[in-house]
Amino acid sequence: MTLPTRIKRFSVLDRLSHIFLMVTFLLQTATGFSRLYITTVWGKKVNTFFGGYDTSLLIHEWTGMVMMAGFVLHTIYLLTRIDWRTPVKSIFGPDSLVPNLTDAKQFGQRIRWFFGFGPLPGFNRWSYWEKFDYWAVYWGLPLLALTGLMMMYPLSTSRFLPGWSLNIAALLHRAEAILAVTYIFIVHFFIGHLRPSSFPMNEAMFSGSVPMEEAIEEKPAWVKRLQEEGRLESAGSAAPSLWYRRLYFMFGYAALIFGIYMLINGILYSRQINLH
Amino acid sequence: MARSSVTLRLLVMLATAAAGVLFALPPPASAQEEVASAIRRYKDRETSTGYYEEYEVRPRRQRPFVEIPGVQAGLFPYSPSAAQVRNRSRLADSHMGIAFYREKTCQTCHPEQAKDIHTVRANLTCRQCHGGEPIASIQYFNSPMNPIRKHAYICAKCHESASASFASYIVHEPAPGSAKARAGFPALYYAYWFMLVLLVGTLAFFIPHSFLVGLRELFNKKRATNDDAADAH
Repeated sequence: MTLPTRIKRFSVLDRLSHIFLMVTFLLQTATGFSRLYITTVWGKKVNTFFGGYDTSLLIHEWTGMVMMAGFVLHTIYLLTRIDWRTPVKSIFGPDSLVPNLTDAKQFGQRIRWFFGFGPLPGFNRWSYWEKFDYWAVYWGLPLLALTGLMMMYPLSTSRFLPGWSLNIAALLHRAEAILAVTYIFIVHFFIGHLRPSSFPMNEAMFSGSVPMEEAIEEKPAWVKRLQEEGRLESAGSAAPSLWYRRLYFMFGYAALIFGIYMLINGILYSRQINLH
Repeated sequence: MARSSVTLRLLVMLATAAAGVLFALPPPASAQEEVASAIRRYKDRETSTGYYEEYEVRPRRQRPFVEIPGVQAGLFPYSPSAAQVRNRSRLADSHMGIAFYREKTCQTCHPEQAKDIHTVRANLTCRQCHGGEPIASIQYFNSPMNPIRKHAYICAKCHESASASFASYIVHEPAPGSAKARAGFPALYYAYWFMLVLLVGTLAFFIPHSFLVGLRELFNKKRATNDDAADAH
């Protein structure tokens, strides 16, 4: 039996979801930061690009609505991915992103590997940090959506909740946004671009496939499981074409540069926000 | 004799009709009285003493920061920092007796009150909400800022159809991590510290984690190239 040279890792829908999230997240960062930093020189400049204080809010709100729709569709998609004949096995199985005890064990093994005291743990399809990445977005998005909706419709909100809940909503929205932005632009970008095994860019999320040797090295349990289940041959994938690689490299680097620009300016100008 | 009996009958008929009209009308109700208090009538029309019965000045919902000592109602307990406000919170002229008042601007004494979204972002001036001189205390019965009517007199100027609940939004919110917030607005205080611990905790875990991944992979790569070089020899 000949092993395929590349192995499929992300479906077209997965990749489109990631691109959707990239575009909307960067847009929300830019419009949101332009308003948060409106009292600074940089904030005014970015805000002017988005048409001023009110127009940038309009863009922010509509993008938020689109993201909420995306979140709902994604949740429906998740429900269809569960094998309802064996839900427990399906939800806690190795193909699922739900954390389990193996993740805790592998985390301990990986800490030992950091300091050279053991081998790399045999990760299955999703490693613990990939699961964290996923769930960070999955709980952050509804929190931002809920607090955002509260601030969009303050009068309706105050019919169901006391008016001071809007103070809390504004605080949570801002804090969660800063958490998401710093995490994505520092940790996620480092893992995706800067770590030696990814440098200059981890292409899996755009090409949809990884080279076989990389899969065997990083996710041995996954490859083994596919082999045992006889699915390895059908999981083979062709290499991405050159024009497509060029396209996603440009796209990925544009996002990277944009994110770093936002992060550095955000840190530099954070002293001048003039709010509590 | 006959004439007087006719007059008497007429009088009796008129009295019966009048009594019938009086019985048909509803009796006078206490709600038709002009003041809310049964004890201190027309107190609100007198010169302010700075003290009114609790019933008269109590807002419908929460009174942010200002509570009755020892009594907790809702999320806002009595706070020591609110005492400064409370002492002057029921005057017709809240700045009564302050020396050189005319030489001062609002921010001379209230710098913290100019750091909220209404001031910094919406560019509102103090007087757009607090009005001209004399500025009444927020709990002064006739003040437009009294929580009984603040939503209609102040908030609704911009936020059409603002309700009393809406008006409990705290415009001059304290710095969310401060002791003042802990005493006066604990929900904000704990939300702030929860998010801060989450932010710092996530970054304090994942930044060293990513850094160690990078370092280990760099060492492994170097070792692999060294091995290759050794094999070639």
